[in-house]
Amino acid sequence: MLQKKVCVLGAFGVGKTTLVRRFVESIFSEAYLTTVGVKIDKKTVRVGSEPVTLVLWDIAGEDAERSVRMNYVRGASGYFLVADGTRAETLDVASSIQGRVTAEVGGLPFLLLINKSDLQESWDIAAGPVESLERSGWGVVRTSAKTGEGVEEAFHELTRRMVS
Amino acid sequence: MLHLPTRISDWLLLLVTTQRSVAYLLIDQRQALAMSGGDLERHGLSGLLDGQQATEQWPFLEGLLPLSEAPFLLQSVGMPSGSVADVHFLVDEAGTWVVLLDVTSDHDEARIVQQKAYDMTLLSQREARLMRKLEAAHADLTVAHRELAESRDALVQSHRRLERELRDAERYVRAILPPPMTAPFDVDWRFVPSTELGGDSFGYHWIDAEHFALFVLDVCGHGVGAALLSVAVTNVLRSGGLQTDYHRPEDVLGSLNRAYQMDDHDGMYFTIWYGVYHHPTRRLRHASAGHPPAILVKGPRETRGEAVRLSSPGMLLGVLPSTRYESEECTLDAPARLFLFSDGVYEVHRPDDTMMEFSELESVLTAPVSADRSELDEVLHFAQHTRGGPLLEDDFSIVRMTI
Repeated sequence: MLQKKVCVLGAFGVGKTTLVRRFVESIFSEAYLTTVGVKIDKKTVRVGSEPVTLVLWDIAGEDAERSVRMNYVRGASGYFLVADGTRAETLDVASSIQGRVTAEVGGLPFLLLINKSDLQESWDIAAGPVESLERSGWGVVRTSAKTGEGVEEAFHELTRRMVS
Repeated sequence: MLHLPTRISDWLLLLVTTQRSVAYLLIDQRQALAMSGGDLERHGLSGLLDGQQATEQWPFLEGLLPLSEAPFLLQSVGMPSGSVADVHFLVDEAGTWVVLLDVTSDHDEARIVQQKAYDMTLLSQREARLMRKLEAAHADLTVAHRELAESRDALVQSHRRLERELRDAERYVRAILPPPMTAPFDVDWRFVPSTELGGDSFGYHWIDAEHFALFVLDVCGHGVGAALLSVAVTNVLRSGGLQTDYHRPEDVLGSLNRAYQMDDHDGMYFTIWYGVYHHPTRRLRHASAGHPPAILVKGPRETRGEAVRLSSPGMLLGVLPSTRYESEECTLDAPARLFLFSDGVYEVHRPDDTMMEFSELESVLTAPVSADRSELDEVLHFAQHTRGGPLLEDDFSIVRMTI
């Protein structure tokens, strides 16, 4: 069976672990538990009739002191950049990580997930920068680990991009 | 290379193997598992089969093999058992060695510290965002407040200009009113325009040596427009500008009605009471176009008089061009006083919203009056008292002719 390593990257506290849990286990928890190192999960999806097992590397978020370790990303077939729609600065972090991944590992399929779309009243990311990224070829999906909005679609879309 | 005594190196080995739950895998060139051992169960990797593809048995290895560099370390990797391990990769002629060292307790301690730090950071970021929003809201409010103040100043200026214009119009209306007269009979009046300036006007003049005309009119509505029409009508009546017989009130009203149709005057219409007094015979001929009746009070001022309403049917002036008016006649036997007025004299609301009755006006006008006082002032004071203050809702116009 086809097996693909997928990294989930972004600033700390953007909801990477909850997105993976929502996708793998259909579970959501409001409690924020930080990730140290990396958590490995897997789930099989289908692209057409072909099953693809995604090995998901939920990697500790980046903060002011620690950057994402690029040796975690080696061997990945694709990755998610996750930003928190209620924290504009997390979009800058996502953009920075994308640049480093491209420099270190090369051009891999990726999607930008703007998470917490259920918190529209606290939305902090302006439309302009996102539209600019889309114009430059980024795939952008608004997601909510809480409601599940966009989550399944995002994982299937990245899988499709990885196997095509 | 650090050379340690065997006792020390053995002790270190024992320390690591007992505290770090060491486990290992050897993966050959075909990426198949060649051997495995150590505390695999601790890491959730028991049951691995030699000869089988390593990545199929432990998906974590997907994409990592063959190694691009060695030795290679991945720290704090979550294991299938829920424990956390540092994963070391070594390479020799036998293949790739994967060595697992348990770091669960270190990981848990680090997570507690990191959790607190992130919670604090998220809190301070949230506070900063809130402050930015508050500052933005404050800036918006400041701008809105300034714009509001500018609008208010503009409104105040506009209001003051309108007030000046109203007062100018009021002065003009007052300027065309005739002065009181005392011979051959006494005529006096009171005129108190409302704050918005109504459409009241009145006048009296000799048509010829024997006939004396007097009238009160009230244009609908308030403001400069109503005042302009009332002044225009007054000037026409005073100057004899109509092609009509000014001795016949019904003809005068008919001519006015044709000349001042509301369709040609911005929708405005008016009421008027018009009378012609023949001084030698003391006969009064009068007509009305929807105006309140005049009141004739018979008898001396010092005693309660008898009130007679002088009215005649007639539609509002300016509504229908074909309207015809009729006149009535009576004799003013001395002593008597004739009062002409607008509805503002008696349609006065009390603070409790009830309205003054017409009969109350008649009662005031027929009341005995001492020589040093005037019924006109009594009526004005009564209206202001009824209203509950000096400012009246409508123009107050009253004319008294004493025979």
